[in-house]
Amino acid sequence: MKVYDVVPGLEFDPEKDFEQSPAWFLDGTHSVPPWTPMFGWFWISFCRHGMQYGAEKLSLPTVKGWDWRFMNGGGYLTLLLVKSEEEKQRREKRFRKAILPFIEDYDGLWNGFVEEILGRYENLKSLNLDEATNIELLDNFEETINTCRRMWEIHMYMMYGTYTAYILFENMCRELAGIDDTSPLFHKLVSGFDNKVFQVDRKLWECSIRAQKEGLADVFLQNEPADIAAALAKTDKGKAFLKDFMDFMNEDGWRMQRMSEINLPTWVEDPTPALGNVKQFLSKGGDFNLDEKRQKNAEEREAAEKEVLAKVPQEQRGWFEQLMRMAQKCGIFSEEHDHYLDLYTHAMMRRSALGLGKRWAQEGTIDDPEDMFFLIPDEIRRAGINPDQFDMRYIVNRRKAEWEEWQKTPNPPAMLKEGFDLDQAMGVLVQSNDPIALKVVVGAMPEVRPELKADLYGTCGSPGVAEGPARVIMTEDELHLVKEGDILVAATTSPSWTPIFSMIKGVIVDRGASLSHAAIVGREYGIPVVMNVFEGTQKIKSGQRVKVDANMGTVYIQD
Amino acid sequence: MADKWIFWFNELRSEHNDMVGKKCANLGEMVHLGMRVPPGFAISVDGYKRFMQTTGAGKEIREYVRKNKKDLKDAVGKQVEASRFIRDVIQSKPMPEDMKLLLWEYYEQLCEQLQCTDVPVAIRSSGAISMPGQMETYLNVCGKKEIIEKVIQVWGSAFTTRAIAFRLEKNMELDKAPIGVAVLKMVNAKCAGVTLTVLPTTGDLSKTVVEGNWGLGESVVSGEITPDSFIVDKESGKAETTINKKTKMVVYKASGIGIVKVPDDLQEKPCLNKEELEEIVRIAKDVEAHFDMPQDMEWVFDADLYFPENLFWVQTRPAKYTQKKENQDEYLAELMTRIFKM
Repeated sequence: MKVYDVVPGLEFDPEKDFEQSPAWFLDGTHSVPPWTPMFGWFWISFCRHGMQYGAEKLSLPTVKGWDWRFMNGGGYLTLLLVKSEEEKQRREKRFRKAILPFIEDYDGLWNGFVEEILGRYENLKSLNLDEATNIELLDNFEETINTCRRMWEIHMYMMYGTYTAYILFENMCRELAGIDDTSPLFHKLVSGFDNKVFQVDRKLWECSIRAQKEGLADVFLQNEPADIAAALAKTDKGKAFLKDFMDFMNEDGWRMQRMSEINLPTWVEDPTPALGNVKQFLSKGGDFNLDEKRQKNAEEREAAEKEVLAKVPQEQRGWFEQLMRMAQKCGIFSEEHDHYLDLYTHAMMRRSALGLGKRWAQEGTIDDPEDMFFLIPDEIRRAGINPDQFDMRYIVNRRKAEWEEWQKTPNPPAMLKEGFDLDQAMGVLVQSNDPIALKVVVGAMPEVRPELKADLYGTCGSPGVAEGPARVIMTEDELHLVKEGDILVAATTSPSWTPIFSMIKGVIVDRGASLSHAAIVGREYGIPVVMNVFEGTQKIKSGQRVKVDANMGTVYIQD
Repeated sequence: MADKWIFWFNELRSEHNDMVGKKCANLGEMVHLGMRVPPGFAISVDGYKRFMQTTGAGKEIREYVRKNKKDLKDAVGKQVEASRFIRDVIQSKPMPEDMKLLLWEYYEQLCEQLQCTDVPVAIRSSGAISMPGQMETYLNVCGKKEIIEKVIQVWGSAFTTRAIAFRLEKNMELDKAPIGVAVLKMVNAKCAGVTLTVLPTTGDLSKTVVEGNWGLGESVVSGEITPDSFIVDKESGKAETTINKKTKMVVYKASGIGIVKVPDDLQEKPCLNKEELEEIVRIAKDVEAHFDMPQDMEWVFDADLYFPENLFWVQTRPAKYTQKKENQDEYLAELMTRIFKM
């Protein structure tokens, strides 16, 4: 019997797909290392759907979202451009109306979506997976598929609308006040705001204070993160602490260790990463420094607002200020959406798939509950109601072997038609005016200034200057290696990296734009961030002394 | 490369941007909107490519860039040198025979159409992607020989130092310049000016503002003189007229443009009569309705032709204006729309 493609209909096919577009880019932020087949199926199917849905709902004048293909565990994407001038004009007309909800009541719009999606999660979680019938388990999985689809619709609709406002604000700052998004003054305008991710970090810090007060600090400090839970369970005080900690996890711990994958446990299943964060707070000591910094950032922001508003002609101030408030929400959205949308939905996917997986393992359909991640929805439907009648191991085994192969060789950064080069492909991205391509994928290109004699040139994500030992971190599971005072060097960062920002002195990332995670969080913590240096993780070795001057966009390797 | 590389403006629309550059595509679009533009034709990007390929200039430039790529990124001095070298290469090549004959054929047809020999034309660059104004324009070009010469010079102007630096900065390929050329009749401007289909200071959309002066439009655009001003109600057509004393105007000189004194008897005379003003407003309203967005437009009346054939349009683009307070949300929506046009 023929084994299905991983993502039927959306597997990369050079012959046909190059006819459609000469350049397909690897989504290096999300699909490195290569995805498990089930996660790939979800992402390719629905991120793609969400982007096209968002672009269409807003009727973006120049772009119809992105198309995606799956290849060897990697996600490859290309833009869908509006082809004729006439259609652009038609879309423009609709866009002017479609964008209004963002302008009229941004908070109402976003909060409404958060409420909707949290309602869906509650509904999914209300099923007791161990006691559910096979039909209920399958229903739960189908509902998870629908939830993921809806999540991506909200995600991309919000992201396109929000980033459009942000880009306009950048342009207007340039036009009216002469500052652009890599200038420190601009960064002051958009920092000093709280968000859900920071609130979770704060709760973790509060746990460290409680551990200190109750004499549990040593349990943390003398154990490896993976052993802390067991060590806590040995005493009554520790048990009580752990119970409250798990309640907190059940509230806010529905997130994945790896931002875009489901084969690692959620914090709810295994609180090791969260307990590791508490340990880091304990060994660092002192206050939750983000509070103090935010206070300072907020004051600086108010001063910056005054300075910039004074440069704007009187009669333009009204709308400029309204636009500025929208742009300021952009950073909050950029962080919060990961928490409420991607991470939470992925946690739901894992929960539902493992619910089925446990049952199937009992019935002998598969060997291990986690083998579910090597199946795709059509296959799950095949055995969903009567798992005892089917043996799915032959598909699991074949896919697992493939997946292991994928891990051995990195996927190429782009698939290009013969005769088409990367520079041309980047040019197309920029010309599309696609807000997500501009603010997250491409970013500003660094200016090489030989007179500065730097080892690497990048752009400023957050202003400041710092010096210290470099710590090159490639994946989330190396985060515990970060020490107080390090300069973090990474390809990119994501929300699960946020807690370490309280310890480090500066950040160097290979890729990023002004709305990338590292830039937003760096600004809140008031540490310098240099972005788009492209080869930081290749040129810098852990332990080398480095100096970052974000204001100039330079990095100096001093050893 | 397409076989056809030369087009009359009425064969073009704005979707031909990549083929002939923005300026030519815009002129084509304006023709289709019922706006009369100075008669002329466009040389496509393929015309440029054909020249570069046939003459071997493209190959020489590629070689040079390949050899000097590293230096070019670092030193401004090198970029100046590269600009000189590349422009010399281009300008040293004669126009291929078949291209020359076709260009002449179009020019002759233009002369015929305007019933005059060696009609003076303006030759302007028309980039397919917007680059800060670094390309050149040649005015008052007359006769077959000079036309060929200036077209080649416009192609060369795609390699000014600033253009080279810009392309390096944006990581664009250096040896490829998607540049089109517009060849259009020089308008012998009687008077010229601008029209906004919105009152820019208050955002009042019920009014159209027309401002004009004798001579070319440059004096109005640059704000050097106080022009005549006509504020016309779009609904009723009623005009609020302010005639100012216009002492200076801009005219074409043998090369380029210059400022001269306005003859005494014209200084306090309105530069537009009633029917000319009405014709401007009529077309402006149509164009605004087509784009569904207030427009900022430039017009010229030709002294050699008769009304209404003497009204030419040279530009239309979205207008910038202060919005009314109550329309702030809509105004922001409109500004957001514009960022997709960059």
